[in-house]
This record gives sequence, C-alpha cells and structure tokens, in this order.
Amino acid sequence: MKRLLFALFCLLSLTARANEPIATTADATESENFNPGEMILHHIGDSHEWHWFSIGEDHYTTYLPVIAYRAGSGLSVFSSRHLAEGEVHEGLKLEHEHLVSEDGSKVYDFSITKNVATLMLSAVLLLVVFTTVARGYSKRGTGSPRGIQSFFEPVIVFIRDEVAKKSIGPKYERYMPYLLTVFFFIWFNNLMGLMPGGANLTGNIAVTLTLALMTLLITLFSSNKNYWAHIFATPGVPKLLLPIMIPVELIGIVVKPFSLMVRLFANITAGHIVTLSFISLIFIFRNIGIAPVSLAFGLFINLLELLVAILQAYIFTLLTAMYIGGAVEDHHDADYQMGGGEDADPAHVPAH
Amino acid sequence: MSSLLPDSGSPKPDADSDRLRTVARYSGIGAQMAATIGLSTWAGYWLDQHFQSKTPWFTLGLMLLGLFAALYNVIRAVSKGE
Repeated sequence: MKRLLFALFCLLSLTARANEPIATTADATESENFNPGEMILHHIGDSHEWHWFSIGEDHYTTYLPVIAYRAGSGLSVFSSRHLAEGEVHEGLKLEHEHLVSEDGSKVYDFSITKNVATLMLSAVLLLVVFTTVARGYSKRGTGSPRGIQSFFEPVIVFIRDEVAKKSIGPKYERYMPYLLTVFFFIWFNNLMGLMPGGANLTGNIAVTLTLALMTLLITLFSSNKNYWAHIFATPGVPKLLLPIMIPVELIGIVVKPFSLMVRLFANITAGHIVTLSFISLIFIFRNIGIAPVSLAFGLFINLLELLVAILQAYIFTLLTAMYIGGAVEDHHDADYQMGGGEDADPAHVPAH
Repeated sequence: MSSLLPDSGSPKPDADSDRLRTVARYSGIGAQMAATIGLSTWAGYWLDQHFQSKTPWFTLGLMLLGLFAALYNVIRAVSKGE
C-alpha cells in the first residue's frame, strides 16, 4: 500500500511538473498544433467511424453504418464514409461527433457507432465463450473441466460462493444468471477497452446507466414486504420522524445504483485518460529522453488497469448482489437497533 | 447450472476473499455517501434554477437533507455488520 501511494505521488508530481514547460514553450505547441485534451477526449468518446491508427496523413479507418430517422424524410442508411471531413450527405452532417440535420430538424440517431459495434462484438464473444463452457458441462458433467472451461470454472464458482451465496443467502440461485452476465460483460469490455483500437464501452455513462438501471429494477422487482416495511415504517423510529425518514430511505434506493453507475464510468474513463496522458507527454515535450519514462509509466498504468478491469467488474457484481440481498432478506434483526448484532439487547423491538 | 458445478463444500474462512469483500463493501459505502450529497445538492440547485428563487432554499434544504441521509445510511450500513 505504501509503495502504491509512493508510485501515485510520483505520477501526480510528474504531471504537475509537466504542466510548467507547456506554458513557457507555448510557441512550440502552437506550431505543431498537438492538443492532448482534444486527442484524449476523442479517444474516450464515441464516434461514427472506427479510427485505428494514422501514419502521417494516411488514416486507417473502418467506416460504420449511419442509421438516422427524421420525421420529415424518414429513415436514411448510409456509410459514415460520406460524412468524413465534415461533408454533408442526405441533409445530415457531423458536428463534434453528433449527427445533426442541415435544416435543424430533429434527428434520431440509431447508427452503429464504435460503441454499438463493440457492444455487438462483445455479445458475440460472450456467447461463443460461454456456450463453449456450457457445452463442456453438458458433455462431461461434473468431471474435470477441459480447455476454456477450466479457466472460467474457478471464476464462476467464485462468483457463486463468494459473491452470490454470501450476499444474497439461500435464494441466490435465481440471481446467478444476472450476476454472472454482468460480471463477465463488464470484465470482457474493460479488457477490450484496454486493447489498442478498442472502444471505451464501460467508460460510457449510457452503458453504465443501463447496467445500473437493470440492477435497480431487479432489486425492486425481487423486493419483499420486509424491504418496503423498512422504508415506509422503519422499525425503531418514532412516527413523528417518519416524514423525514421516508425521503431519506427513498434517496437511498436511487443513490445505490447511481453510485454504481458513476463508479464504473469514472474508474474506466480515468484509466484511459491517465494512460493517454502519459503517451501524450512524448508529443508535448518532443524529446527522446522523455519517451522511456513516459512509456514506462504508461505501461505501469496499463498493467494497473488490467487489475482495475476485474476489480471493477467484481465490485459492481458484489454491490449488485448486496442490494439484491437487502431486498430479499427475510428479517432485519441486526437492523432494529444501531450497533445491533448477535448478542445485542433486543431493547424496544417486539418479538416476531 | 450450479448443480453441475463442483460444490466447494461448507464455506471455509477465506481471509483473502473476505478482505477483498470488506474493501469493496466499505468503498461502496463511501461512494454512496458522496453520491447522496452530490445528487441531492444537484436536485436542489436544479429546483432553484427552475423556480428562479432569490434565496437558494432548495439547494440549502436538499443539501442538508442529503447530508443527513448520507450520514444515516453510513451509520446504518456500518452498524449492520456482516
């Protein structure tokens, strides 16, 4: 831990020092026109084409389909090649990666963007991997696993034993499909985002919003009467305080998935920004001496991100399981009094 | 599905996984606290803008409510135990 803090301190102080020369050598950056902020935001954002890399002026790009609906002119489907370099096609153009119509009418953008393409790709990958794993079980039963099955079995067992069973209790089995899906979806997409050319899918707030919304809905639909009794008539709280306690509890329902959403989004996006910032240092300083340092730190952060990828997937799954566990719990013994526990005095709580 | 997977038997005390679990749990509580205050303050700010109030009563009120809710939820989550 101490070493980690030291490393973080080094990183932070390095970026602080790196800022100084930029201000003093403004003319150098002006002539080259390298804007690290713009480059980084472009990398972590969504786009209508998939830009792989550039050599000089040659750009290697995969053009993705644009699907747009306008009330007046209906559906238009064409390649995003026609929109490159700010061109106008069928009355549509791109403004900062945002599809707008020339006459200002409302555009519903259903395009297969880079993120949507990645989403589909990861769905196919997950299906292929896990049908293979499932086929292994239907063929060999509980016998020794083979191939890719033997890699995923410990992970699946970990999610079942350490996450689901411990957080949800005896009713865990119903929620295993969702927990496993969400864990592997986040993990796979975090890793795919770290690959060169990969999209920042789990660092997109819309994706994490959808995941958090699903957690919220599953929690609400699986909640029992104890859960709601706890919100609208918190045990041990005087009736007069209920007008305050009910909003407080209701805020809690919304905030739990909200914090899930922000945590995943912020962690993955921050990782991408830090890695790209270190790579940008080379182009900011334009000095060969800085390259080894910048690459070493970039590599270090990238390796750290490998850990963060599985850690964030685990945290999302664990907290989801805990929220579900709170909703399906049969009784709240320990909750009736502050600091309650196994041997706490039941005080004013009636037996039930 | 789970009947096909080998059962690891009775849950044995696994120190490493329990520590990881605790870290994740408490970091979740902290983030939740920040989110509660942030979200309610933002809601109050939005309401003040919407009603164009001269004194930001909504911001103040909802911020204090959020603060209270955050503290209440932290105390409850921490005292709940495992």
